[in-house]
Amino acid sequence: MRRSLSAAIYVLSTAIGVLAFVYPFVLDVRATGSLGVAHSQDAPLVTAALVGLSLVALLVELQGQAISAKTVAMLGVLVAITSVLRFVEVAVPMPGGFSPVFVPIILAGYVFGSRFGFLMGAFTLLVSGLITGGVGPWLPYQMFASGWVGMSAGWLGKISTLHSPLSASGGPKVVGNRDWRLEIAVLSVFGFAWGLLYGAIINVYFWPFAAGPVEQTWTPGTGLGETLARYAAFYVATSLGWDLVRAAGNVVLLLLLGVPMVHALARFQRRFHFEVHPAHG
Amino acid sequence: MVDVRAWLLWALTVLVVASSTRNPFYVVLLLLVTMVVGATCAPVRGRRGALPSLRFAAVAVPMATLFNGLTAHLGDTVLLRLPAWLPLLGGPVTLEALAFGALNGLTLTTIFSGFAVFNQVTPVRDLVRLTPRAFHEAGVVLSIALTFVPQTTRSLARIREAQAVRGHRVRGLRDWLPIFIPLLVSGLERSMGLAEAMVARGYGAVSDRAQPLRTQAFLALGLFVLLGGWLAFLFLPSWKAVALGGMIVGVGIIVGVLRLAGRAVPRTVYRPYRWSRRDTLVVLGCGLVLAVILLPLPLVNRATLAYTPFPRLALPPFDPLVGLGLLGLVVPAVVATGKSRS
Repeated sequence: MRRSLSAAIYVLSTAIGVLAFVYPFVLDVRATGSLGVAHSQDAPLVTAALVGLSLVALLVELQGQAISAKTVAMLGVLVAITSVLRFVEVAVPMPGGFSPVFVPIILAGYVFGSRFGFLMGAFTLLVSGLITGGVGPWLPYQMFASGWVGMSAGWLGKISTLHSPLSASGGPKVVGNRDWRLEIAVLSVFGFAWGLLYGAIINVYFWPFAAGPVEQTWTPGTGLGETLARYAAFYVATSLGWDLVRAAGNVVLLLLLGVPMVHALARFQRRFHFEVHPAHG
Repeated sequence: MVDVRAWLLWALTVLVVASSTRNPFYVVLLLLVTMVVGATCAPVRGRRGALPSLRFAAVAVPMATLFNGLTAHLGDTVLLRLPAWLPLLGGPVTLEALAFGALNGLTLTTIFSGFAVFNQVTPVRDLVRLTPRAFHEAGVVLSIALTFVPQTTRSLARIREAQAVRGHRVRGLRDWLPIFIPLLVSGLERSMGLAEAMVARGYGAVSDRAQPLRTQAFLALGLFVLLGGWLAFLFLPSWKAVALGGMIVGVGIIVGVLRLAGRAVPRTVYRPYRWSRRDTLVVLGCGLVLAVILLPLPLVNRATLAYTPFPRLALPPFDPLVGLGLLGLVVPAVVATGKSRS
């Protein structure tokens, strides 16, 4: 029962988050009618509030699943380290959308699982936003999207060779014969895809309110195909170059840091799983 | 000093106003108000004045102007024509399209300026204290992360120095490997020690428990009603009233669950917030602005909030009452000046 409810909360929160991002693509003129334009004005605030609320609900559920002191401490420290990387990124301008924060989020989710990955992604963007002065209406969307990066990395980890020997036994196990090249290749493709996807997702939150040529702007009721085509034109014209640098940066960093970081994180995962249970009776 | 909750309302009000108007007179007025408040209220140490906003404007306004001017081929005043074979860019470049682009850049700058002021005037520890009690664990993670940021920065400098002594030089990305991995490992070692210290102080005794089934059930119900209401609101216009009701009920259930979950977490505060008369004045100022922008008040011409330079650029309308109303956002600067005089 508890697991079903937990899964329902995950699914519903994520559905609200996804709807907040994609509603311009599915909104029909029959639904908006003459109020279509009005919707385009009140939607940003309503949507931001709903995204914030569903994020809050998801956080309550995630933290309510008995988070141990070790997890809390490790999450806090990893978030701090990754936030410092974002600080470096803000202080030293990097080319295009290059950002070193995604690789630690991806690898943390990959090693520690989807729940940890989501929390790591969401908290990293929150803390780095606080320390770099990046708090604004965009923050809930960034937290959601980076949470998804970590969460999906957890799923990737589950189907890879890494997670099975550790989670199956629930404890330490030496992972000697892993195909690192394959794992890093898969992670690199994953990092490249998220480099583009993150930008495409974050764009959607302001795209309905952005001005520009008709063939690149959102109009209520244009239909799914036409809206997608317009968004694609907008994305190519404004963001693709920027996001390609981020995607390429993720690949370079994963090739460079992937193996040693996974080694370090997996070693600590084994140490963190070590528990002493007193014998009863 | 103005309370962090009043500042939060102030920043949200700036966002609401900036999202509600494209009239350049109001947008510029709002931008000036945020700059004045920033210059007056930000702590002297670390005060950056209007510089961040001007730097942002120097990028955002020309970029938005250029982008819109080159890609939006609307408007009567044609300045030049680009060859039609150029994809996206081909066609007339109009004064109206350039003006609308500049206006969008200005609006973005205003939102940025409002939140830049918010970030400057609110200490991070006050923001963390706003974390609701239901987010006890999340608050602890946040506190640990914020506490460890300076330590991590110091560790980074120490590791760089140690590696430099050994002859290591950072020339490319690959050279960061011997710096980043020790930083990660030392951080994780510290987290082990921290976790043991937390357990020794009884952390697990109260928080290492799953939340009640009832909380989960109501949370799922609230999200379900909210999602259903929102979907109906977007796609079933004839059910609009029911849909809105559903959304409100869903939000109510979620907020209720958060309150109930928060009650289970006892929290003591060493130095409680003190709500002062200054905070009330700031809230009243924001209330005035929101009333002028959102409510159909007599004598106030809210239609002047909407403005478009198309099809031909013309002087935007200006209602002095709306302009005066927007000055409600300058209250934090007024109370800060009054305090420094007294």
